[in-house]
Amino acid sequence: MRDDYSSELGHKLKWAYLLSIVFALLAPVFYVIYISFNEYGFGARIYEFTTDWYRVVLGDTMLVASLEWTIYLAVGAVATTIPMGLMSAKLYKRTRHKVGFVTLMLSPLFVPADILASSLLVFFKHLSGAFEWLGGALGQGWLQTWFELGFLTALIGQIIYTLPYAFVVILITMSRYHPQQTEAARGCGANAWQAFWQVEFPQIKAGVFSACAFVVILSFNEATRTALLKGGFDTFSNVLVSQMLNVGMSEESYAMGGIMSIVSMTVIGSLIIYTLIRSERLERVARAKAEPLMSG
Amino acid sequence: MAQLSDVAVEVTDLAKSYGFVVALKSVNFRIESGRYFVLLGPSGGGKTTLLRLIGGFIRPTRGRVLLHGRDVSDLPPNKRPTSMVFQSFALFPHMTVAKNVGYGLRIRKLPVSEVLERVGDMLEMVGLTGLGDRMPHELSGGQQQRVQLARSLVLETDILLLDEPLAALDAKLHKSMCIELKRLQEKVGITFIHVTHNQEEAMTVADDMAIIASGELVEAGKAIDLYENPVRRFTADFIGENNIFDGPVTKIDGAEVTIDLGYGTATANSRGQSVQVGDEASISVRSERLRMFDADDRGKESFQYLSATHMETVYLGLTTSELVMLPDGKEVMVRRLSDGVEGTGFTRGEEVRVGWQKADGRFHTS
Repeated sequence: MRDDYSSELGHKLKWAYLLSIVFALLAPVFYVIYISFNEYGFGARIYEFTTDWYRVVLGDTMLVASLEWTIYLAVGAVATTIPMGLMSAKLYKRTRHKVGFVTLMLSPLFVPADILASSLLVFFKHLSGAFEWLGGALGQGWLQTWFELGFLTALIGQIIYTLPYAFVVILITMSRYHPQQTEAARGCGANAWQAFWQVEFPQIKAGVFSACAFVVILSFNEATRTALLKGGFDTFSNVLVSQMLNVGMSEESYAMGGIMSIVSMTVIGSLIIYTLIRSERLERVARAKAEPLMSG
Repeated sequence: MAQLSDVAVEVTDLAKSYGFVVALKSVNFRIESGRYFVLLGPSGGGKTTLLRLIGGFIRPTRGRVLLHGRDVSDLPPNKRPTSMVFQSFALFPHMTVAKNVGYGLRIRKLPVSEVLERVGDMLEMVGLTGLGDRMPHELSGGQQQRVQLARSLVLETDILLLDEPLAALDAKLHKSMCIELKRLQEKVGITFIHVTHNQEEAMTVADDMAIIASGELVEAGKAIDLYENPVRRFTADFIGENNIFDGPVTKIDGAEVTIDLGYGTATANSRGQSVQVGDEASISVRSERLRMFDADDRGKESFQYLSATHMETVYLGLTTSELVMLPDGKEVMVRRLSDGVEGTGFTRGEEVRVGWQKADGRFHTS
C-alpha cells in the first residue's frame, strides 16, 4: 500500500523486487514446461516444438494407471477431507477451547512427512496384524485379510495431510459469516440442514471450493506418504520421483512434470482470478454500504 | 387465534447455566396474548438469554417454556410459533429483499403466487414497496431493520421476539422506529417480546414490562406501574431518574413508615409491605418530583424536606437538572422543565433545602 508521501522510485523498486522473486521461483517450472515441448529434449541445440512426449506419457499404460490412481486419491481425499474440514471449522467456531482445538487440527503439519508416513506405516502394519489375529481367533477368513496396505491406507495418510489445510482455508471464509443468520433462518422455519445449505453455504462456498482445489493439488504433489502407505499401485508423483531417482530425467519426465505444473497452475490461477473477481465484488458491496442509496 | 390460550408465554422455573456461570436463575412469568412485552435490564443481566430460551435457540438447564399452553421446551426454533428479529439485522446478504422476506414462506413450500403476494403486502406494510429487488447492502440501517421485521411478520407467527432490534440505529431513526414498532404491533395484534437495555425505548413501546438483572426477574408489571410505583429498590434505581434514600426504619405509624437518614428522616407509605422497626429500607423519589427551596423557606405541611448544598445546574434543553449534595455527601438530582432562563438563582455552595410531597416517596424493603 502506498501513502501520499512514498517515493515513486521506492515503489517501483518494491514491485521489481517482488516480480524478480516470482520470476526466480517460477522460472524453473516454466523451463521444464518449455523443454517438455522440445522434440530433442534437454540440452539440445535445436528447439522443435512437439507434443509427442505428452502423447508418449499419456500412451504409457503404467503412467496412465498412476494418473488414474492419483485422481481416485484426490477425489477420495476431497470427498472425505472437505466435509471433515467443514465440520471442524464449524466446531471451532462453537468451541470455547479454541487454542487446544486449533493445535490439535494443525498438529499433522508439525510432523515431518517422512516421520508421519513411517509412523502410519508401522501403525497400519500392526493394525493389519491385529485383524489377522482376530480373524484367526474368530475363524473369519475375510477379517484376516481385509486390512492391508492399499488405497484405503494411502487415503488415510492423504486425509491426515490435507485436513489441516482444508480446515484453515474454510475457517478463513467462515470467519466472515455471522451465525445469527443461521438463527434467523431457523426462526423462519428452516431446519438445521436447510439453514446450512440455503443460507450459510452460499456465503462460504468460496472457501469450500478453494479447499477442494487445494486438496486436489496436494494429492498431485504428494509423494512421500503415498510411497510408504500405498499398496499395489503407484501415483503420478511416485512414478515421477522413482523415474528421476532410477534413470534420471528423460523427455517423458519433463512431460510428466509439465502435466503436474500445468494442472497445479491452472487450478491456482483459476482460484486467484476467482478471488480477484470476488474481492472486487466485495469492495463494491462495501462502497455501497458506506454510501447507502437511500436513507430513512 | 381465538382458540389459542390468552396466555401467550408462560415460563416456569426457567434457568440457564454455562458450566459454573449462571446466566439465568429460576424465572417465572406469564405474558398475555397480544401484548407488547419488554424485557428491560442492564447489559449482561440475562434478558437476551431469556428471549433465546423462549425462541428455542438455546436449551434450558431447567424449567419449562409454554407457548399458548403448549410445552415447547424441547422443540427447536423452527418448530415453535415464534419468529425473531435480531440486533445485527441478520439479513441473508446473497438474497434480494423480496427473497429475504419470502424465505420462511418458501420453507413452508407455499405456492409461488402466494409467496409473491404476501411478500408484496408485507413490504407495503413496512414501507418498502418497490425495494424488493434490492440487495440488503443497498439499503440503509433503518430499511434493513424493516426488512427483518417484514421477514418475521410475514410468517404470521403468534409471537415475535425482538432482541435489541433498534440498538444499531442512530438516535433519530431509533426514535421513529420505536413508534413504528408500536404501531406495527397494534396493527398485527400479535404478542411482541422486546429485549432492550434502553429504558426510554422500553417506555415508548411497552404495555407490560419485566426488569431482568443478574439473571433474575426483579419485577414485572405494567410499564406505567413500574415507572410510577416500583416495588423493588432496583427497579426504582434502574427506571427513570430516581433519588434513593436508605436507612433503618425508626417509626411505623399505621401505613406511614419513617426511616432515619442520619442527617434527617424521610417518611413514605409502606404500600402494604411488611416491615419492622430496625429493618433496613429505602425511599425513592423521582427527580422531577423533587423541588429545591431556599434554606429559610418555611415550606408546606404536605412536603418533607432535607438540608442540602447546591452543587451545579445542568441545562439539558427540555429540562434543567440541579445537582445538590446531602449532608452525608450523597448527591441527588432535582429536575424541572427549562423555562428559558439561564440559572436558577442558586449559586454553587449555597445552602438550600430539597423537598417532595410525602405521597411522591415510594417505600422499598428490597
